[in-house]
Amino acid sequence: MTDAKKLQGDKLSEAEAIERAKHGDAEAFQLLYGLHKRRVYSLCLRMTSNTAEAEDLTQEAFLQLFRKIATFRGESAFSTWLHRMAVNVVLMQLRKKSLPVVPLEETLENEEEVPKKELGAPDPVLSGSIDRLRLQSAVDALPPGYRRIFVLHDVEGYEHNEIAAMVGCSIGNSKSQLHKARMKLRESLKTSRAEKAAKP
Amino acid sequence: MNCAEFQEVLPEVIAGDRTAEQESHLKSCPVCSGLVADLDLIASEARLLQEVAEPSPRVWNSIEITLRQEGIIRDPHRGPSLVPPGPRRWNLAWLAPLAAVVLVGFGIIVYQRGSGDSKLSADLHTPTPAAVANLQTGKKPSSVNKIEDDQLLAAVAPAMQAQYASNLQNVNAYIQDAEESAQADPNDEEAQQIVMDAYGQRAAVYEMALDRSLP
Repeated sequence: MTDAKKLQGDKLSEAEAIERAKHGDAEAFQLLYGLHKRRVYSLCLRMTSNTAEAEDLTQEAFLQLFRKIATFRGESAFSTWLHRMAVNVVLMQLRKKSLPVVPLEETLENEEEVPKKELGAPDPVLSGSIDRLRLQSAVDALPPGYRRIFVLHDVEGYEHNEIAAMVGCSIGNSKSQLHKARMKLRESLKTSRAEKAAKP
Repeated sequence: MNCAEFQEVLPEVIAGDRTAEQESHLKSCPVCSGLVADLDLIASEARLLQEVAEPSPRVWNSIEITLRQEGIIRDPHRGPSLVPPGPRRWNLAWLAPLAAVVLVGFGIIVYQRGSGDSKLSADLHTPTPAAVANLQTGKKPSSVNKIEDDQLLAAVAPAMQAQYASNLQNVNAYIQDAEESAQADPNDEEAQQIVMDAYGQRAAVYEMALDRSLP
């Protein structure tokens, strides 16, 4: 049973909460918020790397959701509907605020940002495990354009065709940026591992 | 196939679209197989980042306040009824003159203390009863808040006490943080604004509680 399906103290299920929220029930809104806040906030945090901004976006995403909840007909899972809305809020805010998002075409051409390696040369590997905090730091340090695609695909599980539609790029562009993001992460993780090993 | 050719098509290889020739190179080349293993590992470990944190409680407070202001949240005790409760509008109307009186009182206090007093800016709050009491008596906000909060909690329905206690605790913590920031730099206008916003949130919690508790 998923979190979203769990019952809370008053035995209110998610489906019941949705119906009650459509009628303006405060407890139902709070239950729905409680069930989904972590995933939405984490998405916002990963996309912005800024806690204050992530909280603002979380608030905005839930407000939009609750304003439109009467239109939810259950054709898709509620979590999917909410999540798509949260992604749209974040992407829209990123565009509105003119954050230093690397333009898609620029990231395609900006090859020097992608780690170069000598083909065929010995190349230490990450060997089986990645510390979550280090991975998180490495993701936070990605250029915003790469981070956006990486978070949507590898963290949130969207397909390239969905990302292309949401972000407004081609599928090939999405694939290319994802690959470059992973390559940068690999280099970053190897560097941090080497630095850690070098410490006495 | 050599490493350069293999890595040209790496995105497709990672996605799983591999030819026999690519599979053969992957098996025979430790460099490329290590690279593919690392990229696969990064992709799989990324899922761990999906739910790593949760927002502070004031996010929900702000959401609830906005939903109430927009009329999206209606009386929670009436279940799925679509009919908005009648007395609610009267309650809000009753609170408006009260808020106006508090505003005027606060304005008088601000005026009396003089605009050149640098300490004044550190004491600026949204004109809630707690803020006014702080300015007049010099009591610590927490002690004033505690008495008022206890009175409020005694007035609300027992079933809602825990929720309001939690809301008040969160908003008081927010106020305390905001006031500490404002006192650290009395000339920081943004910090002053945050203090006022914090008191505004507290006032909204009171408003909600009174709205629910009055007949």
